[in-house]
Amino acid sequence: MKEKLEALREKALGELATLETPKELEEFRVRLLGKKGEVTELLRGMGALPAEDRPKMGQLINQLRGELETALSEREQSVTALLKEKRLKEETLDVTLPGTKTKEGGLHPLNIVLNDLIDIFQSMGFDVVDGPEVETEHYCFEALNVPKDHPARDMQDTFYLAENLLLRTQTSAAQARTMEQRKPPIRIICPGRVFRADEVDATHSPVFHQVEGLVVDKGITLCDLKGVLEQFAHEIYGPETEVKFRPSFFPFTEPSVEVDVTCSECGGKGCRVCKGTGWIEILGAGMVHPRVLAGCGIDPEEYTGFAFGIGLDRLTTTRYKISDIRLLFENDQRFLEQF
Amino acid sequence: MKISLNWLKRYVDISVPVEELCDKMILSGFEVESIEDLSATMSNVVAARILKLEKHPDADKLQICQMDVGGAEPIQIITGAQNVFEGALVPAALHDSHLPNGMHIKRGKLRGLPSDGMLCSGEELCLKEADYPGAEVYGILILNEDVPAGTDMREILHLNDIVIDFKITANRPDCQSVLGVAREIAVALKQEFHAPKPTYTTVGGDINDYINITVKDYDLCPRYMGRIVRNLRIKPSPDWMKDCLRTAGMRPINNIVDITNFVMLETGQPMHAFDLRDIRGNQIIVRTATDGENITTLDGKEHTLTPDMLVIADGEAPSCVAGIMGGLNSEIKEDTTDLLFECAKFRRDSVRRTARTLGMRTESSARFEKGVDIGGVGYAMDRALQLIQELDAGDIVDGVLDRHEELPAPRTLKVTTESINALLGVDVPEATMADILNRLEIPTTLENGLLTCTVPSFRDDIEGRADLAEEVMRVYGYDHIVSTPMTGSIVRGKILPERRNTNLLKEVLIAQSMQEISTYSFISGKALDTLSLAEEDPRRQVVTLLNPLGEEYSVMRSQLITSMLTVLATNYNRKNAAVRFFEVSKLFRPLSLPLTEQPEEIPALSLGLYGKDEDFFTLKGIVETLLTNFGVNAEYARSEEPYLHPGRQAAVTVGETVIGTFGEVHPDTAAKYDLDARVYVAELRLQPLFEAIEKVRVLYKPLPRFPAVERDLALLCDEEMPVAEIQKTITKAGGKLLETVTLFDVYQGAQIAAGKKSVAFSLYFRSAEGTLSDTDIDPVLKKIFARLEEKGCTLRS
Repeated sequence: MKEKLEALREKALGELATLETPKELEEFRVRLLGKKGEVTELLRGMGALPAEDRPKMGQLINQLRGELETALSEREQSVTALLKEKRLKEETLDVTLPGTKTKEGGLHPLNIVLNDLIDIFQSMGFDVVDGPEVETEHYCFEALNVPKDHPARDMQDTFYLAENLLLRTQTSAAQARTMEQRKPPIRIICPGRVFRADEVDATHSPVFHQVEGLVVDKGITLCDLKGVLEQFAHEIYGPETEVKFRPSFFPFTEPSVEVDVTCSECGGKGCRVCKGTGWIEILGAGMVHPRVLAGCGIDPEEYTGFAFGIGLDRLTTTRYKISDIRLLFENDQRFLEQF
Repeated sequence: MKISLNWLKRYVDISVPVEELCDKMILSGFEVESIEDLSATMSNVVAARILKLEKHPDADKLQICQMDVGGAEPIQIITGAQNVFEGALVPAALHDSHLPNGMHIKRGKLRGLPSDGMLCSGEELCLKEADYPGAEVYGILILNEDVPAGTDMREILHLNDIVIDFKITANRPDCQSVLGVAREIAVALKQEFHAPKPTYTTVGGDINDYINITVKDYDLCPRYMGRIVRNLRIKPSPDWMKDCLRTAGMRPINNIVDITNFVMLETGQPMHAFDLRDIRGNQIIVRTATDGENITTLDGKEHTLTPDMLVIADGEAPSCVAGIMGGLNSEIKEDTTDLLFECAKFRRDSVRRTARTLGMRTESSARFEKGVDIGGVGYAMDRALQLIQELDAGDIVDGVLDRHEELPAPRTLKVTTESINALLGVDVPEATMADILNRLEIPTTLENGLLTCTVPSFRDDIEGRADLAEEVMRVYGYDHIVSTPMTGSIVRGKILPERRNTNLLKEVLIAQSMQEISTYSFISGKALDTLSLAEEDPRRQVVTLLNPLGEEYSVMRSQLITSMLTVLATNYNRKNAAVRFFEVSKLFRPLSLPLTEQPEEIPALSLGLYGKDEDFFTLKGIVETLLTNFGVNAEYARSEEPYLHPGRQAAVTVGETVIGTFGEVHPDTAAKYDLDARVYVAELRLQPLFEAIEKVRVLYKPLPRFPAVERDLALLCDEEMPVAEIQKTITKAGGKLLETVTLFDVYQGAQIAAGKKSVAFSLYFRSAEGTLSDTDIDPVLKKIFARLEEKGCTLRS
């Protein structure tokens, strides 16, 4: 009997070492250790033994069972590990193959830049307002101190829709509307679409976009204007950017200034972009004309203010170095997806 | 305004380099458009004397000239010209010289003999008869100068000058003149300004014996002044005057015409001279034209006038279009003996409109359009008369006719220095302020911090504190402006709900792979025809531009579809395989036509897509996702847009309102855009979305604690039956236990009877109270089946 057990042990352990799949292992388990397995059968067969041999024999069989169970479990572990290793090896990918992409959507470049501007000015406490694109002569011109005989009111520059109605030529038209509706302190920007009778070419478009800014409060000075525009320039062109004022003329501001910033291309040393001057003209601005304030019911003796107008299209074409403004309105997918 | 440096130097000492001058002027408000060095047009060309002339041994037409060019030894130049002679003084281009016509002359050989340069014709030096007598003669230019050989031709031709083109802003019409700019230069350079002080003597007589002047319309002609000059001695102007005119781009003609042009350029006040014998009835009448009246202007063109145009007429007919151009009949001629000088102010918009209508823009009209100084009329007239005397061009008759209503009194402004500094935010010393204003010829006194300024009539633009502040600052220097942070309460700026919601809308669309586009707000009037819209379609009510750039851009758009189709077509024709576009813009809807008030501007969205993975349902999916995000409960039903596929389009209804339509574009419309692919478009009005989202309050719902029970239903129904209706029926009958109904199959084919379709749904039942059993669900299903049967749907076995 003992020899029989020994032979079974030898045979079983030998066989176990050759098994390589979970299925074979399971069959092995059932065959030897299952309810009707060989080892179980041995236990059952103990009844035929003399009573005094039984404990000893039972002990030996259970020992064998325990031994086989341990060996099986070890074998199972190593088979699982091997299989896993094999699977992982088989699943190796060429990681240089391209990824699966979801097609991206995006904003029009003009609105990407506009959102940046809104962010900058909103954080400085400017409310964002909107105005109509079809304006009356009053808000587009008269309220802005552009008298009837001013050349800007010519049909040649302005698209008219009726006697008194036109497509606004400047977002400044929102100034008077705002000042009539709100009392100082006023701190607004008005982004929007504007229209001028310019033939289409690489740098001109009859439809373009501006962001008008307006501040009215007690004690607002030209230096405050510079402070705000410097902040804006630092955000847009970089913290090293310097801002310079040059005298200019707009009917709705007095004093009026052209605002230059140091050329971001050469840092002010002079290059092709800035035509060697080191400066780039970015916008027009000035102190709100007292007549404009008074026309909106704001006492120019008590309040002062400044206004500025940023050309969004030019800001966009300069930022992305877009050579032709027409690209912005042509909407070729290959252009739009670059931003 | 192009002004020569030499001319400016007649009134102000300019000793700084021209670049420095320009930099200073830019900083005081006068942009410089260009700096042109006239001497740069030619180099190394000198006056040379022909010492000896011989025939070329090997060429009949060539002559060998020994030339004195001012050096120790003569040089040899070979010429083909026949009009040269020994002793003649001619322009010689020496070795390595440049000519204004672009030629570069080098030493060379002509038929074997060396030639050290080239003799020049007037044409080669780009000269006209008016520039130099004999310049247009065929052959070499023979100089009639008494200068030593070797003199630089630039000196002889007065080319040692620099012309600066200043950009004059619209508020400074006074600087449309050499004197105006010179005054500014004097201030910028801190130099004295010497304006001419006109004096002259008259020969007696009385102007009233020669002419009578009547102004009929003081609104269009606030001032008109006339003077008579007799016994004219018409001849060429002196060189200095010709040079001045040439640098300003004007051609010298004769002393009288040149004086009027010179005075205009110098003072900014246009002048006109009439031949007195051609003024019929000794009458000058300033009046508007009668309808259909004609005039032939100096340039020989005939114009028909309209009653809104101002003319200077004699007793019979117009002699001059006021402020723009004189008539041919009364121009100054070689044999004119007596003249009438006109010096006037005409209303600027009147001149502008007339000049544009007649298609004539002259130096004179340009100045009237910008505005001339009503107080400067007399000065310009006196200056012209002074020049008449100086040039010995005629005899000045006594008396002046000066027609005007009451002239505006000089404006006096009282402004504190403190209030100027308060506006600027800097501390300009008060004495500096007064000094700057006085140097600008705005007489100013300073007393206890109060500036009292007498504004001269030529500075009509100065009305108050802000204007004075600007004058002070631009001279004091804008580099004194420092940056200060704005003070006030710290608030984050607010943004209007519509803009905030538009941003959300764009986010939702971008998340669905959509790219934003931007197109013009005006479109072709014919664009609507591509959509085959019915005549009575409200979108045909469009706002039309009175002066469009062309038909292509002539109406404000009442829909966004045509712009979208144009962009889709551009992309398709450029072989972009697949696109998904959206545009957020405004629709313009007139409240009445013809337009009397601002049209309604309606925010709208258009979607457009094509590509192999796109179909009606990808577009619908985008629309649905968008509406769901905005909390909009929309219904979809067949629609009848003429530009969409009749079987593949739907209207989106919210409540009772149709907010838009979408679908596959009708092949007929697509063909009009050269699109031979299936393309899909949508247009939605955005206001309902913006209103809906304002009501959305997102509240957490507890996650289900009990499992759902799924039942699949396969139904058979007529093929026309809309799936949405079946789904609605199921949902309604399902009651509160029915959690979701999801369509998972629609089938028509072999196993289904003709005219029928199979529709399959998954139904999920769930209760918050406990796990559902068949006994809970069966009655519900029974009810659902009953309702479906009423709709003609049967269960597929």
